Amino acid sequence: MRNATEFHGVSKEYGRGEARVRVLDGVDLALPAGAWTAVMGPSGSGKSTLLHCAAGLEPVTSGRVLLDGEVITGVPEGVLTGLRRRRVGFVFQDFNLIGSLTAEQNVALAAKLAGARVPRAAVRAALGEVGLGDRLRHRPRELSGGQRQRVALARAMVTRPAVLFADEPTGALDSASARTVLDLLRGLVDGGQSVVMVTHDPGAAARADAVVFLRDGRVADRLVRPAAAQVAARLVELEEVAC
Amino acid sequence: MLRLAVSTVRDRWALFVGAFLTVACGVALVQSSLQVLMATGEPKVPPGVTGARAEEIREGYVGAATLLGMTVLLAGFLAVFIVASTFAFTVAQRRADLALLRTLGAGRGHLLLLLLGEGVLLGLAGSAAGVLLGVPAAWTQTRLLTGLDMLPGSFAAPWSFRLVGVSFAVGAGVAVLGVAGASVRAMRVRPMEALRGTGGAERVMTAGRWCAGLGLGGCAVALAASARPGDLLGALLIALGVSVLGAVAVSRLSPLLVPLAGRALGLAMRAATLGDLAQANLRDGVRRSASTAAPLIALVALAVGLAGMLGSQARATGTDLVRLTAGDLVVASTGADAARIAAVPGVADASTRLTVDMAVRVEQRGPAGTRRATYHAGIVAVDGPAYRRTHRVAPRSGSLDLLRGRTIAVGAGLAAEGVRVRRPATAVIGGRTVRLRVVAAMPERLENGAERFLVPLSLVPAGLAARAPAETVVRVAPGARAADVAARLRPLGTVRTVRGWADARVAAQARGNNAIMAVLLGLSGGYAALAVVNAMLIAGAERRAEFAVARLTGLARRQVVAAALAEAAAVTAIGLLLGGAVAAVALAPLATVPGTLAVPWTLIGLLAAGAFAVTAATSVASTLAATREPPIRAAAAR
Repeated sequence: MRNATEFHGVSKEYGRGEARVRVLDGVDLALPAGAWTAVMGPSGSGKSTLLHCAAGLEPVTSGRVLLDGEVITGVPEGVLTGLRRRRVGFVFQDFNLIGSLTAEQNVALAAKLAGARVPRAAVRAALGEVGLGDRLRHRPRELSGGQRQRVALARAMVTRPAVLFADEPTGALDSASARTVLDLLRGLVDGGQSVVMVTHDPGAAARADAVVFLRDGRVADRLVRPAAAQVAARLVELEEVAC
Repeated sequence: MLRLAVSTVRDRWALFVGAFLTVACGVALVQSSLQVLMATGEPKVPPGVTGARAEEIREGYVGAATLLGMTVLLAGFLAVFIVASTFAFTVAQRRADLALLRTLGAGRGHLLLLLLGEGVLLGLAGSAAGVLLGVPAAWTQTRLLTGLDMLPGSFAAPWSFRLVGVSFAVGAGVAVLGVAGASVRAMRVRPMEALRGTGGAERVMTAGRWCAGLGLGGCAVALAASARPGDLLGALLIALGVSVLGAVAVSRLSPLLVPLAGRALGLAMRAATLGDLAQANLRDGVRRSASTAAPLIALVALAVGLAGMLGSQARATGTDLVRLTAGDLVVASTGADAARIAAVPGVADASTRLTVDMAVRVEQRGPAGTRRATYHAGIVAVDGPAYRRTHRVAPRSGSLDLLRGRTIAVGAGLAAEGVRVRRPATAVIGGRTVRLRVVAAMPERLENGAERFLVPLSLVPAGLAARAPAETVVRVAPGARAADVAARLRPLGTVRTVRGWADARVAAQARGNNAIMAVLLGLSGGYAALAVVNAMLIAGAERRAEFAVARLTGLARRQVVAAALAEAAAVTAIGLLLGGAVAAVALAPLATVPGTLAVPWTLIGLLAAGAFAVTAATSVASTLAATREPPIRAAAAR
């Protein structure tokens, strides 16, 4: 089976000379397609960098990254732009909607950038699926945090991406809103969507199919279908070792 | 992308107000200037006026056309400059949004289209307003030009619908040119910048700024260093060049120089707690401080440099006139009264110049071969030997002693115009045509409106001579007091000292120049004010969260306003000082020519007062607006 994301000996360094920091250190990892993988680890363990490198937002220092079976390291910026348009969807912690556009326009913009003639009905359907069929003409500032994140989710999904990357998608939400967003993600994965999610929240990670733990830029552990308590305990152990 | 452009402009209109007003004013000025300019193409001389008046009207038309042409160029240039700085600013503040578009898959071309789309929208909206504003602007301009006597009272500039097309083209062109630089910068935004949340992390001193600033600054310094002491013409050219080059160079380097100057100024501001905060903000908000100071630097450097140059030129001309005149008093009167001056007790010598209404036709060598030209203005009748005694100037060729009978001398005003002295001149005087032999040619003078021809007094019919306006240079006899002689001369006409007469004469000649300077200064001042207000408003709107945090830290709203005001005042002072420094370097070589340097103190005072008034009012208004919300809400809304 094809993997959603593959890392082969990937290292990532920032800075030069004395100030050089190795954030990813020889990571080998394969995240299966059609599954939901959570990435966890103490602060500074390299989770966000892993996500950015997997999505082709940041170049790696060495190694190879594959997205949906295609090598994305060492390819020109234009190719990466096309990749972001059609194969990748993003959901961010702070939503990152365009403030001047309505919910419907925000979703339609992503579709238009992808170049596909996405009919208006499809845009509305995407918003309907996240339960915002009655909020089409609202601007982001007129929506609650949970509603904004659902617009972002609809925006990410309207182009039917190969992989959906989520960076702390529930980090800025209250628990009820967070549950709604996680339910929506679960529904997507059950429909065959690949999801890679970075999170701090053991409760959120427990909804995933597998949890990958990072420490000091290396893969430290991997749990399949863990319970929240199990995730939390493992995380505490890793943080203690790190200290 | 067009829809996104529309919604961005609608949503963040505060960022675009300044640019919109700039385009509207620019289009209005260009349109009205063109409308009036088209009407000045063919001077309409009313029938029945004298030759001298017709010549004056034609010269007025040329002057008006020059002024209008300069207005069009300046308005266009300044509009592009301000639109460019506005968009550079908005791109810097919207980096996070632009980066987000990149993560969503927008290519570089998309961002270019977005910014250009915003530019075109702005251009069209600004043009629509500009076309309407242009109509009253054309009336105002016409009234101004007729008021300055550059155009006759009967002048009218008809409206033409072709202007609408031109205006929209100008508006869209200005906006797109202004946006071009910012669009290119927007294209370089990388998608990662959205995730790190580091909007505005771009370096303010770009490579382009370094190149332009150091390159032009180097040229200005080299030019200033090339000055030779005592060389007036060189010093005038240097003043012009250094003002222009230095203004652009220092405003390009403002992100570097303003914080540096802020550090120096900071020692004085340290005393108060708020002063400390204001000074720290000034250095921290480099882009904001530099954007506010740059237009002031450019305005002060250009205005003070150019006004100082023109003033010094006038003063040098006056000094030159005094040096050339061997006399104590100058009496302005009619020809009839002038004839009685020599007989007044205490007058040792008197030399009268009559301004005669006559025409002179001569041959001139020019780049296109020999041509014949007729002159009406600047022809004076003198007594050759008396003129020679009271004027310390020797002819370049021939002799003024020969100026008797049917002869003529070429004056300083035409010394460089290639008049052929071997060919006779034809003169029409009192309805009579006579051929005159050229017996002398005077050397060039500094004076702008020096006389073009000298003819002997005997050539002028007595009736005409008695009515003609006269100026008589009087030498006071040894032992007599100049004041007593002046008192005795007063019944005959207006009596002035030579210095007073020279200054008045130069001021009259400089009137046209001063009018042009005033109009251009007003225009530049208006645009600079717009640019400063624009930069402060954009920055103020974005400082909501910063002000809120300051208030949560314990500052009262009044104190936040005061700190922002102190910062604005410091930035204004820095802008004025840096601009003044450029002007000082530009005018320094003029100080090496004795009796020349004229520092325009009144203008400097007006500029400083105006700048402080505008920045203080804008700072208080924008800070009050940005602190209206309770601080806890504003701080959270980041």
